[in-house]
Amino acid sequence: MTSPAASLSAVRVPKWAFAVSVLGLIVTYLVLQENGLALGAGSELLHEFFHDGRHALGVPCH
Amino acid sequence: MTTTYKSLALRGVAAGGIAGVASALVQLLVTEIPIRAALAVEEARAPAGEAGHTHGGEEELVSRGAQIVGGMLGVVIVGIAVGLVFATAYALSKRWFADRTPFSRSFAFGAAVFGAVALLPWIKYPANPPAVGDPETVNYRTALYLGVVVAGLVIVWAASWLAEQLRAQSQPVRTTAVLLAVAAATAVVLLAFPAPPDTIPADMPVNVLWQFRLSSLAQLATLYVGIGVVFGLLIDPASRKAKAPEKAAVA
Repeated sequence: MTSPAASLSAVRVPKWAFAVSVLGLIVTYLVLQENGLALGAGSELLHEFFHDGRHALGVPCH
Repeated sequence: MTTTYKSLALRGVAAGGIAGVASALVQLLVTEIPIRAALAVEEARAPAGEAGHTHGGEEELVSRGAQIVGGMLGVVIVGIAVGLVFATAYALSKRWFADRTPFSRSFAFGAAVFGAVALLPWIKYPANPPAVGDPETVNYRTALYLGVVVAGLVIVWAASWLAEQLRAQSQPVRTTAVLLAVAAATAVVLLAFPAPPDTIPADMPVNVLWQFRLSSLAQLATLYVGIGVVFGLLIDPASRKAKAPEKAAVA
């Protein structure tokens, strides 16, 4: 429990870091998974625009 | 030293962007080939059922060219978003290979994340090219897929926890025990989740299907392992010892 670990636990993770992470997950969800649950009609456009990426990253698609 | 969260997060974004661009290039040069073949299959059956979702039809929402660019852009965006989450998880991790260098910790973490959120779901629910999925089942398939991703991340977390518990054991015993536990947990996940609901349509050539699946896996590996490697390079002071003192080089 010394050396790199010691300097590591010195990293103080501020509260906004969690907001930032949640934002990252939401962006990932919108790009990869949104099928109409959150955005309704607009999702079709989003879906088609990112279409190839969704398939390529192995996400279930229509 | 990169000891503030902000510096780690910026490097996460940079690592995600770089790995995302690399993955997008794999998509353009490799994955698009079977996608094109699959779209040809889809187009060939177009006259029969005009239902809902067409990619090749005349009244398409987004042109093919835009889909290729948009798909690559999507991969880069996902890379950046994942890089940010990756950096946060890294900053929070206290016991993940705590005795290793920052580079090996980051590399091992990237490989583990790849296993959890890409390889495991790929084995259980292999990626499918266009013209395979049934629109009726997409929400069910999405739920199953996310379930496997979450299960994979739990396995990674639990493996790290177990390794910590076994600290008193010798290195070989500890490694073997953790690997066995991971293998057992993986087997349970693969058995517990239901089989993929869709059947592969008969008109989809099996070589197109598998060329696509392997391309997809290569692209996922580029993205996730790439994030681990680039993030490790960016945060490890050893990687820029030769140059000026750390502080200068930013993401």
